[in-house]
Amino acid sequence: MLSIKNLHATVEGEEILKGINLEIKAGEVHAIMGPNGSGKSTLSQVLAGNETFTVTEGEVLLDGENLLDLATEERAREGIFLAFQYPVEIPGVSNMQFLRTAVNAQRHHRGEPEMNAAEFMKLARETSKQVDLDPSFLKRGVNEGFSGGEKKRNEILQALLLQPRLAILDETDSGLDIDALKVVADGVNALKSKDRAILMVTHYQRLLNHIVPDFVHVLAGGQIVKSGGRELALELEDRGYSWLGVNEETTAS
Amino acid sequence: MIAAPTLSSAFLDAPGQSLPSPLLKLREQRGKALVDMPLPTRKTENWKYSSRYLKLDEALAKTLPSAGKSGPGLAVAGYHVVFHNGVMVPEASDYPDIAGIEIKRFVDLDDDEARELAERLDNTLDSKAAQMARLNTARFEDGLLIRLQADAVLDQPLYIICETDASSAGTAYPRIYVDAGRHSQITLVEEHITSGSEPAMTNTVTEFALSEGAHVTSVRLSLDGDTVQHIGATGARLHANARFENHTVGFGGPLRRHDLQVRLEGPGAECRLNGVVVTQGKQHYDNHTTIEHVAPHCNSEETYRNIAADESHAIFNGRIHIHPDAQKSNANMSNKNLLLSTGAEIDTKPELEIYADDVKCAHGATVGQLNDESIFYLVSRGIGRQEARALLSMAFINELVEQIPVDSVKDTVQARLNRFFDQTFDEA
Ligand SMILES: Nc1ncnc2c1ncn2[C@@H]1O[C@H](COP(=O)(O)OP(=O)(O)OP(=O)(O)O)[C@@H](O)[C@H]1O
Ligand SMILES: [Mg+2]
Repeated sequence: MLSIKNLHATVEGEEILKGINLEIKAGEVHAIMGPNGSGKSTLSQVLAGNETFTVTEGEVLLDGENLLDLATEERAREGIFLAFQYPVEIPGVSNMQFLRTAVNAQRHHRGEPEMNAAEFMKLARETSKQVDLDPSFLKRGVNEGFSGGEKKRNEILQALLLQPRLAILDETDSGLDIDALKVVADGVNALKSKDRAILMVTHYQRLLNHIVPDFVHVLAGGQIVKSGGRELALELEDRGYSWLGVNEETTAS
Repeated sequence: MIAAPTLSSAFLDAPGQSLPSPLLKLREQRGKALVDMPLPTRKTENWKYSSRYLKLDEALAKTLPSAGKSGPGLAVAGYHVVFHNGVMVPEASDYPDIAGIEIKRFVDLDDDEARELAERLDNTLDSKAAQMARLNTARFEDGLLIRLQADAVLDQPLYIICETDASSAGTAYPRIYVDAGRHSQITLVEEHITSGSEPAMTNTVTEFALSEGAHVTSVRLSLDGDTVQHIGATGARLHANARFENHTVGFGGPLRRHDLQVRLEGPGAECRLNGVVVTQGKQHYDNHTTIEHVAPHCNSEETYRNIAADESHAIFNGRIHIHPDAQKSNANMSNKNLLLSTGAEIDTKPELEIYADDVKCAHGATVGQLNDESIFYLVSRGIGRQEARALLSMAFINELVEQIPVDSVKDTVQARLNRFFDQTFDEA
């Protein structure tokens, strides 16, 4: 499904990603772990098309198609979804309006009829309950004044409504209490299917107890320095990153 | 040296009309005072940014004819009064007889009523600040007098539709005077529209006198066509515990100028002034507001938002004047502006003059652009870039649109704004 080859990216002239290679097949769940500042969010944002970052080398193919040639909105319509580490607050745009506009933009792209307000309201209310967000959150401004955990659940709500082919979850587990973690994990598990893939960035083994990854990768200094099965996550939890020759304080610079 | 331009005398030979004589006399008197009136130039402080948009060609000196017909598309559900080129059209108007509420056109006033009105016209306005409004008093052909007795309440909004029929060149002078008695209440929607496409002007004055405890809500919608220059003035004077609310919504044009002047003259009086302006292409819009805190214990809240796209130009000048006796005044003014292109210009100027010491006064003005992070968040969900920009622009003014107290007007405004943003973001 997704094939990342020798991906290099810079921000403000500084190289953050230094040759990432990663193959993700439909149906798989991949976890990326790694020290702060190692480039995990950068990789996520680059895949979603954030123009703050410049790709200087390498390629990314989504089902053989060159992903990097597509604008952000086109990538989303092709099924890329990024749950942001720091979701953006947009006062003045209601969550409901935002979600419906997004769903309809994607339906329109697939040649499906738009959902009317009533139909969508019903769907959104049901889905919001699935992530344990009171439907009143649909009326508020997008992420406006949401707590950290509520923002994360709102990201999963979007994923459930948009049904992406590749869901990239950037630390969707951080800042969640134990119950919320379970809710988010259930949401992600509901997304899992043989046609979809999930790439999750996390610092904690605890999420991986709920969502079992097929592969775990360690990203450090802008490169994937080790890959393994789920047992690698347990080992990292025990031993940290230093045994991999990675300084915990290492940043991409 | 080139002499400063003055008002062409052609503007001053008003055709005789069927107004009662006290009003004709007032017009004549005001007309005389305008002989050699200097026109605003770049050096005129309150027209600094706007004088270059003002085009007072001779052709506009003609008062637009009113055949007494009603223009197209004026079907309004609810109470309404229609003006055609400044003259009321009774056949197109519809409002009930309500005890304690008089709604009369100027031409129908008897001499006593006209004399009383003539004494009151212009009293709510500082004509130095709204100098172009003086032309209205020299030229109006008709007008609407609304008088509410004490405790009278108009149970529905009254729409006043002012149509400028620009099938020929000239100017229309709509005029409205509202006398709100003690504890009376009224909601008034003033809507300016255009038919025809010759160069024209509308010069409009609306005045409100609020007695003790009166509540007046006014909505002012400027939807004039793009060959029409619009110069408007609204004045309000409030006695004790009266409340005046104004919602101004304006779409840009070749020249758009609105002066809004509110005087809080009795303790406990309060006003809320909201304004939304959007401009595109080479359009212009200039709002000048003044709030005079004359009496103590008065509150004023003012929120204006401008959005300027393309090479358009929006101006906001908000003056708050707290007089020496106006202790315990509370005044808040906020003006936020959104530039949608590097070619657009927004000028904002809060002016505070505070002569009392025990007051709370806050003001803020910002000029910004759409936030890239917000755009990225929206497009990362598959929303088109232009639609994302439209959503965020709408979000910038939505709070004010939501506060418009008349649903049908809110809907009209929403629809117009959607069309505006479609045009603005329809990629070249
Ligand atoms: N917009 C930016 N401008 C400048 N530097 C940036 C920008 N975005 C990221 N960086 C830098 O790139 C490096 C990688 O950041 P990134 O956010 O990808 O790390 P991360 O692995 O997600 O870390 P964390 O675990 O703390 O979330 C950091 O050194 C960061 O400061
Ligand atoms: Mg990160």
